[in-house]
Amino acid sequence: MDVVAYTSAVANGRRLAALLAEFSSPGALVTAAEQVRDAGYTHWDTHTPFPVHGIDAAMDIRRTRLPWVVVIGGTLGCVAGLLMQWWMNAASPEQFRWVPTFLQGYDFVISGKPTFSLPANIPVIFELTVLLAALATVIGMLAMNNLPRYHDALFGVPRFRRVTTDRFFLRIDAHDPRFDPQRTAEFLSGLGAVAIERVEAAQSPARWPAALVVTLVVLAGLALFPPLVAAKARLSKSPKPRIALIQDMDNQERYKAQQANPAFRDGRAMRVPPAGTLARGELRDDRHYYRGQVAEGWALTFPPQVRVDAALLARGQECFGIYCAPCHGLGGAGDGLVHQRALQRDTPGWVQPTSLHDPVARSRPVGHLFNTITNGIRSMPPYGDQIPPADRWAIVAYVRALQLSQDARLEDVPPERRAELR
Amino acid sequence: MQSPTLDIDAEARPLGAAATRVAGAALLLGLLAVGGSVALGPRVGWSVFFRSYLLNYSYFLSLALGALFFVMLQHVVRAGWSVSVRRVAELVAGTLPWLAVLFLPLLVPVLKHWPDVYPWTDPTVVQHDPRLEAKAVYLNVPFFVIRCAVYFIVWSWLALASLRESLRQDDTEDVRHTQRAERRSAVGLVLFGLTVTFFAIDALMSLHPHWYSTIWGVYFFAGSAVGFYALLILLLVVLRRAGRLTRAVSSEHFHDLGKLAFGFVVFWAYVAFSQYLLIWYANLPEETVWYRPRQSDRWWVAVSLLLLVGHFVVPLLALMSRYPKRRPRMLAAAAAWLLAMHWLDMYYIVKPRPWLEAVNSAPIHATDALLLVGLGGLFFAAIFRPMARWSLLPRRDPRLVESLSYENV
Repeated sequence: MDVVAYTSAVANGRRLAALLAEFSSPGALVTAAEQVRDAGYTHWDTHTPFPVHGIDAAMDIRRTRLPWVVVIGGTLGCVAGLLMQWWMNAASPEQFRWVPTFLQGYDFVISGKPTFSLPANIPVIFELTVLLAALATVIGMLAMNNLPRYHDALFGVPRFRRVTTDRFFLRIDAHDPRFDPQRTAEFLSGLGAVAIERVEAAQSPARWPAALVVTLVVLAGLALFPPLVAAKARLSKSPKPRIALIQDMDNQERYKAQQANPAFRDGRAMRVPPAGTLARGELRDDRHYYRGQVAEGWALTFPPQVRVDAALLARGQECFGIYCAPCHGLGGAGDGLVHQRALQRDTPGWVQPTSLHDPVARSRPVGHLFNTITNGIRSMPPYGDQIPPADRWAIVAYVRALQLSQDARLEDVPPERRAELR
Repeated sequence: MQSPTLDIDAEARPLGAAATRVAGAALLLGLLAVGGSVALGPRVGWSVFFRSYLLNYSYFLSLALGALFFVMLQHVVRAGWSVSVRRVAELVAGTLPWLAVLFLPLLVPVLKHWPDVYPWTDPTVVQHDPRLEAKAVYLNVPFFVIRCAVYFIVWSWLALASLRESLRQDDTEDVRHTQRAERRSAVGLVLFGLTVTFFAIDALMSLHPHWYSTIWGVYFFAGSAVGFYALLILLLVVLRRAGRLTRAVSSEHFHDLGKLAFGFVVFWAYVAFSQYLLIWYANLPEETVWYRPRQSDRWWVAVSLLLLVGHFVVPLLALMSRYPKRRPRMLAAAAAWLLAMHWLDMYYIVKPRPWLEAVNSAPIHATDALLLVGLGGLFFAAIFRPMARWSLLPRRDPRLVESLSYENV
């Protein structure tokens, strides 16, 4: 028992921080801890190479509050996972126009499921719950233990090194209300400690270790590279094909149209429906709507499901601008950009696109116009595969409006707006 | 910390005449109920009777299989904490040879080719069904009988060998019994995984022979483990009421059993959802066919939701905290609830009739309840009878001291 003199609060210019008692077995430590607890000390701790059974009770440590932190973290992850998926795939951008575009969701229909469908969301919710619960556990544990710390006064005691191998330590802090250098030292030596050491306040400065600072700065610098590369790629233009590290999306293992596939008896990669069957929604037995025909021939009127109004005309104008105007011209006179370019290049055998205002075109029934868009006529190709029927009817309505606009009389204009024409 | 004066032999002394009385009463009740259900057989139809039988048989078999898994797992990982509860688990697993005998009635509908129970046994059904014709290589009556024989031989051997080894150690105090059990359990767990998976496919998945799910065996296993942990908790609580294992099995052991029950509840939900998610997402007719009757009929929708809430949400919340797991009475209430939910799970698996829907549409029959009591009586008689003579914990196991002084840190 090498008890040194502890009486002075300051020795060699160093303040006394704690008294450290060394024990040779976990049993001795537990017994000592029980007596320290019973003596009413509150600011003290034990240090062992491995978890010691019964030390919690001996030290009267209350149960950790960490589980609550974990529950809160997990609940946050659960709610965040649900909200995130709702926002990204179910909150229609139409309803949230006030949100900046780059923060809006996508409103995609995937595999024909509802945009907000719980079964598909559960894996992500589960993963986020686990992730945030785990992060909360680690961070909460570190925070509750006042970690990380770079230094502790105990590291100044050479004896303390054996705490990671075969010795058991008990320390009573000097700021404990019951602490008295002399009496506490005597008390500890009475507990069967093999040695008692004076722990002096750490001389370690409050600064971060230089090696740690350098490492962090270097890491932070390196971490800037990926966002910089991404930012450069977004802001600069390049004629070269983009770099794809993972080529799976560019070169997909799949059959392309018209390829042979040995997996099927008929050798086709493109599957045809079994004889006598149709895909849903492809029955199309409404001749008026899908073909522009009625019993007497070409339909003279729009089908009942098409309502001719300003919205339909606007849609028709949009589609006309996309599909028709390149040849027929924005005004429908057959003078589109394709035609002008053909004249410039003096293309042999070029026939000017039909003017939609010539008497033949004007006399066509709407059903005939619809059929022309669907199946093409003379050198005009069919557009039925590109334009859905509703849009084709919208174009027909717009063509009718165009024709009317080129052959109108003053009486056709509402009286209150005639003044605008003078 | 246990006090040094703990008298193990008094703690674990056999129940004696009390166990014989309980087992006798259970046997009598079981035989009466089984007799009653057989008498009802012609009334409800024999195919209904055998489906009720399969439902309750699978239920008690799954509990015994869970016990076998638990015993072998403890040996393989050389667990110390579980020694004081292992004997009761060994006794539950020890019912497997009796359950092998109780399986024999289920061969009647198979050998008689009744399509209402197993459609693939009927040659006329198979003849008109190219998919069943293709599966006939595996799903045919002789091979089915051979496979089932293999399952029950393997299970009975593993269960009896574990139990007898453990009992012999009570007398010989020889550590080599433990070493042998560890080696056998390593092989046994592999055999267990294979046999349970194939049994689940043969006995339960083939009720709808068109349908298949590759996670089916795991689903059955997960439910079995939940059911077994619940049963073990209840048995231990009952034994403590009878004045046994009062200190050898402490709140520390209940805490761990509660943790295991909690873990396997989550595992069950994980597996059940994994199966559901893929089928829901792909939406292929040959896979959704199993869920269709369970999600289109009002009764079965209610059962599905009850399973979701009762077999997952309720126990998840009830068992999450440390508090109820360390209190045997609260834990026992949760265990009773889990046992009921496990029965509902088996009911959900066996009872709906996607095949030959017109034959009977009633979702529940008197035979379901009668055979629950009947087979349950026989099952508990088989558990309690040996308790009359044998020590209730492996009193000479080398890890017993570790188990007795076990504490959750």
